Amino acid sequence: MAKAFGIITAASNRFRVEGLQDYRPAGSFSFAGRFRLIDFPVSNMSNSGIDRILVYISGNPRSLAEHLGTGRNYNINSKRGKLQLLFHDEGNINPIYNTDIACFMESLGIIDRIHQEYVVIAPCNMVYVMNYDELLGRHIESGADISLLYHRVDAVNDTYLGCNILNLNRQRGVHSIATNDGSAKERNIFMDTYVMKKDLFVHLVKEAASISSVYHLSQIVADKCEDLDIRGIHHKGYFAAITNLKSYYESCLALTDGEQSKTLFLPDWPIYTSTSDSCPTQYFKGSSVRNSLISNGCSIEGSVEHSVFGRGINVGKGAVVKNCVVLSYADIGPGVHVENQVIDKWAKIRRATEIISDPDKAPGYIRRDDML
Amino acid sequence: MSQSNMLAMILAGGRGSRLKDLTNKVAKPAVYFGGKYRIIDFPLSNCANSGIDVVGVLTQYESVLLNSYVAAGRRWGLDSKDSGVFVLPPREKADEGFNVYRGTADAISQNIDFIDNYGPEYLLVLSGDHIYKMDYDKMLDYHKEMNADLTVGVRPVPWKEASRFGIMNTDGEGHITEFQEKPKEPKSNLASMGIYIFTWKALRKVLVADMKDPNSSHDFGNDVIPNFLNAGKTLVAYQFTDYWKDVGTIDSLWEANMDLLGSKSELNLNDQTWKIYTDDASTLPQYIGPEAEVDCAYITQGCRVDGLVRNSVLFTESVIGKGAKVIDTVLMPGVVVEEGATVTRALVAEGVRIGKGAVVGSSDSENILLVAKRVKGEE
Repeated sequence: MAKAFGIITAASNRFRVEGLQDYRPAGSFSFAGRFRLIDFPVSNMSNSGIDRILVYISGNPRSLAEHLGTGRNYNINSKRGKLQLLFHDEGNINPIYNTDIACFMESLGIIDRIHQEYVVIAPCNMVYVMNYDELLGRHIESGADISLLYHRVDAVNDTYLGCNILNLNRQRGVHSIATNDGSAKERNIFMDTYVMKKDLFVHLVKEAASISSVYHLSQIVADKCEDLDIRGIHHKGYFAAITNLKSYYESCLALTDGEQSKTLFLPDWPIYTSTSDSCPTQYFKGSSVRNSLISNGCSIEGSVEHSVFGRGINVGKGAVVKNCVVLSYADIGPGVHVENQVIDKWAKIRRATEIISDPDKAPGYIRRDDML
Repeated sequence: MSQSNMLAMILAGGRGSRLKDLTNKVAKPAVYFGGKYRIIDFPLSNCANSGIDVVGVLTQYESVLLNSYVAAGRRWGLDSKDSGVFVLPPREKADEGFNVYRGTADAISQNIDFIDNYGPEYLLVLSGDHIYKMDYDKMLDYHKEMNADLTVGVRPVPWKEASRFGIMNTDGEGHITEFQEKPKEPKSNLASMGIYIFTWKALRKVLVADMKDPNSSHDFGNDVIPNFLNAGKTLVAYQFTDYWKDVGTIDSLWEANMDLLGSKSELNLNDQTWKIYTDDASTLPQYIGPEAEVDCAYITQGCRVDGLVRNSVLFTESVIGKGAKVIDTVLMPGVVVEEGATVTRALVAEGVRIGKGAVVGSSDSENILLVAKRVKGEE
């Protein structure tokens, strides 16, 4: 295959996941225990036969670069394919300069040398399953200039604040793109996913850059709704947008619902990640675990309920972990009681015996490497 | 060969017929162990962790799966330049007929050309079907220190069991003075673990002679070691006292899995400095459902538990339905225990489905029940 190459963009600078994002870019966020957000778009592309992929990274690139490596974990052909990491960070001047257009402008030379006719652009902070080959087929068949992927959401909550929404006519033509201010109940949430010809893409990028240094791709596309044939393609199935700590927490915990997770992990659509060669998880006598998603390498002596665990987590005797998203190698000491928390990697909780946040508010966040 | 100048050869040709249906289609080294591993992952990971770059794997019995499995040396990090895992089944050679491997020593003899390509100073010979973690580099240090021609890995076994093993009798300084294969009246309780470090030059000579000997059974224990002793070579015993298991039977395979459950597993697979590498499955983490009860278990990714699991080891993607009970049992990959079924004191082979409400095994059985075929449940 594929007539398209792929671009995976860093999450828009309109979104910020408090706490987690101080340590790593969105693509590196742990998801569903043993995965990271970036695994989903890269696997979607790899499974769709796209084996030329550009990944844009802004902010601390270390963890993401380490995780993706040369892309060999993602079943991308090691000779014909290529996964390329492109770093961009002007946030130290002012975060407003951190735009996707600025990233693309820096790598126009690379994009120019790619021979595929089409480009599929997907963000790293929206989790969904999509066969891009099929999407490309529909795009070509429709004769549209640009196709935009959207997900229809009934109860618009704060998760989608700041997301773009598509206003469509009956033929699914996009007549405008606007930012969701939370005023409407039912919306077509734009999944920041585009399909178009490479030449048009390059043209739009250059034009956007000439209009304003803080322009985003979505803005120039919005400007073109009148002149170009831009259509929405309705996405069905699993969808999560990670836009802040609360949405991160809720999306993670939602996967403890077996029916939900079945829609993200489909039998013929593997999600690839890099292995850490952890051993299986050990449940000791007297432990109690329910309604939880647990990765390998954990040692559990206490009780765990409605939580998602990364790898290598210890839960001591008599500890209670409830409604928590726990990242790899965290250590929850004997007798400690934690509820409604996001506990970052390598955190060690020993002396703080009770950390419980209000379940109706955003979850508590415990810092990476922290000793409590 | 850059690091230790030692090449490893793993003997992986045996069937392991006492494992019954588990080895009908695969050789014993490919049998599953410990939730996510195959037995051969242990010697291969030990090699990788000991800084050995080149490993030959000698296969013979039902080798298709094993050959393709070990050929991907990347799993164990044995894929850098000048490194690799090489599958060595018997092959036809220009100047002689096609011979299967007639014995453990013959398997090495028939691959002298392979070993000579690398020209190692030392040759490590291992079994592909033992479970243990060992630093072969330390054993090599001992071999050099003792100026040995052959170092044999040994471990003390209970005296009453000593007559089941190849026993090494040693003098006070660790030199092997006598070797007895399964002696009726053992003089020592140091049993050979089937781990040998040879100085390659010395072994090569003995192997060339052994190939031509019509009376030889071409076996390390029966022929090569006695030859070394008779020729006055320096043989030393290297004592290893950590966890080591030869899982020859269904009962011992089950038991070795159960060993992982204790509060302090002797094998400790969670050792970050000595990881055991294996194939990576693209699955979800394990999911423990809202009505599940997990009490003392070793469970790996991709499993889904909605029933009760007690004192059991669950391999990749096994599924326990609601109200089902899995007690004192090992479930190999992809086993499904349907709603309301009960499995006790059993070892269930890969992919087997145990139907709704079925009852399999019993808590007072003398032996562990091997379940290798589908068990029908209520219609």
